[in-house]
Amino acid sequence: MNLTQAIKMAAKSISSNKGRSALTMLGIIIGLAAVIILVSYAQGQNMAMKAYYESMGSNKINVSAYTWGNSSSVDVGQALYDYCLQLDGVVGVSPNGYIWSSPTIKYESKTLSRNSNRSYGGGGVMISYDSSNDYPQIYLGNDKFGLCNDYVISNGRDLSYLDVENSNQVCVLGAATAEYLFSFADPVDKTISINGTPFRVVGVYKSKGSGTDLGTSQDAQWMSESIKRLDRMILLPSTMTRLFNDNQPIEEYVVKVKNSDAIKEVTTSLNGFLSGIINTNSGSYSVYSEDTWQNESNEANAMQQRFLGGIAAISLLVGGIGIMNIMLVTVTERTREIGIRKAIGAERKSIVVQFLIEAAMICGIGGIFGIGVGYIGTLIVGKLSFGTILIPSAAITVAAAAISVALGIIFGMYPAIKASGLQPVVALRAE
Amino acid sequence: MLIDIRNLYKIYNEGKESEVRALDGVTLTIDRGEFVAIIGQSGSGKSTLMNILGCLDIPTYGDYWLDGTDITERTDRELAHIRNKEIGFIFQGYNLIPALSAYENVELPLIYQGVPLGKREDMVMEALEKVSMEDRWQHKPAEMSGGQQQRVAIARAIATHPPIIMADEPTGALDSKTGRHVLEILHNLHEDGTTVILITHDNGIAATAERIVRISDGRIVGDGTREEVGL
Repeated sequence: MNLTQAIKMAAKSISSNKGRSALTMLGIIIGLAAVIILVSYAQGQNMAMKAYYESMGSNKINVSAYTWGNSSSVDVGQALYDYCLQLDGVVGVSPNGYIWSSPTIKYESKTLSRNSNRSYGGGGVMISYDSSNDYPQIYLGNDKFGLCNDYVISNGRDLSYLDVENSNQVCVLGAATAEYLFSFADPVDKTISINGTPFRVVGVYKSKGSGTDLGTSQDAQWMSESIKRLDRMILLPSTMTRLFNDNQPIEEYVVKVKNSDAIKEVTTSLNGFLSGIINTNSGSYSVYSEDTWQNESNEANAMQQRFLGGIAAISLLVGGIGIMNIMLVTVTERTREIGIRKAIGAERKSIVVQFLIEAAMICGIGGIFGIGVGYIGTLIVGKLSFGTILIPSAAITVAAAAISVALGIIFGMYPAIKASGLQPVVALRAE
Repeated sequence: MLIDIRNLYKIYNEGKESEVRALDGVTLTIDRGEFVAIIGQSGSGKSTLMNILGCLDIPTYGDYWLDGTDITERTDRELAHIRNKEIGFIFQGYNLIPALSAYENVELPLIYQGVPLGKREDMVMEALEKVSMEDRWQHKPAEMSGGQQQRVAIARAIATHPPIIMADEPTGALDSKTGRHVLEILHNLHEDGTTVILITHDNGIAATAERIVRISDGRIVGDGTREEVGL
């Protein structure tokens, strides 16, 4: 019997037992689709986390260093700045200070303040409006602040070295703050007032992204809100600390390094340097990077992926056992048929090949449907959970399909080999 | 000599209390072109004998030569070839594959023999014509009467033109008229030169054979013409 004949026979057998074949396929379809969807979901979660960390600024190290009293004769900020500039792998350093108070920000009729404004609408109904939701973080930085925090200018220019050096009354706005104060107008060269002090807008940063592609879970909403908050900001030259922070030195710095490999090296150097200039009895310092958090989060994600992968593997195994069960029943049910075939001259090999092809065809067709359902499921899950188009990875798809087909073939072959080894007369006696 | 068996034993549960000697030292020869009926009571061992003669089962002890070939030394694969080319089986319960049509059932042994498609079609239709079932070639077993199913089973048995036909109670499940028709087909095959071995418990059917072998408790107790075995 040649292969074409064997395939025809297998196809005939499958089509004449549609119900049973469909049930067998169902096990594979569910198992395979579950694997694809669950693993893709875990990968989607990973992507969302990655997007979040990227928007937060990558390859940066946050440093805080301060002394109290007059215990230090060294200007920690300046020393840190100078030290960082001569380190290998450092791309930029910027003060990362902020204004302690919440000064009122105004542009023409638009006001941003921490106080709630009340007004009365028609019919005496009180409308409460609190602009503090839109109130920006006012940063104190230098010309490298944007670079260090992954802000990109969309309009105008960034702060310059001279702006900081000369304490120019200029500012750069985050996308959300610019939109709030200026709506559709171009903010560049317009003047806003902060606590009554005029500041000329020299540029606007690009939005960090809507964050809507992170999904709808509680974590994702928190991440999305965090990303949106990044656009609510105003950057002033760090020398403005004299106007708003009683000329207190800035204690927070951000160091941008060229790549993730440099983070560890620079962090170690910074720790060494700061321990040399700050006496822990009269000061304190800390050095940390987003990567530290990211690594922790990656670890958690990897655990989640392993957990979901485990569940998926169990569902595939259950599917495989289902296939084995049905194959076992199928072959047992057809023992008499095997006896008839042997009686009229079928070799053992022909019987095994026929059942093998049947199992492979059932698993193959089930596998194709399983992949289809898995893809559709992934698209739906991607849209609902992450608001994006999530495509299962080809490696997972191929691996899951190969495993399910292999399970079907192995489990399908075993009973066929067993039955084909019977004496024809024994097989013929089977009911 | 086509079939030559000597001191053939088939023992189940040998050495145990429940030991059963289905065949207990059977010696028998059958020449080419004979029509032999093997008769006996239920449980006498006649079906066991046919299963061994048809290479569907293996004896516990004894020798079996088929057309000069020692069957007891053959591999599983070689036995499959012998069953396919040398022997055509007709069973009491027809043993057709329910999912296949009459045509496909008859075609099966030819597929296993590796007959090419064009020739196969001719051979299938020729076999179906011989049993007057050519009009029902598309029908599945469930769509046919018992007699029609048995005729299809005969067509399957003769499709490969085997030199031996072995029929185990071929009329057992049929009414007398249909049974006679089936018997007529077997006699026609015999007239064409086929060796026919017919297993039956029905003396009337056995009486139509030229040679009758009577078996009882796994032993041959009579062998000869109708008169010689006392039918």
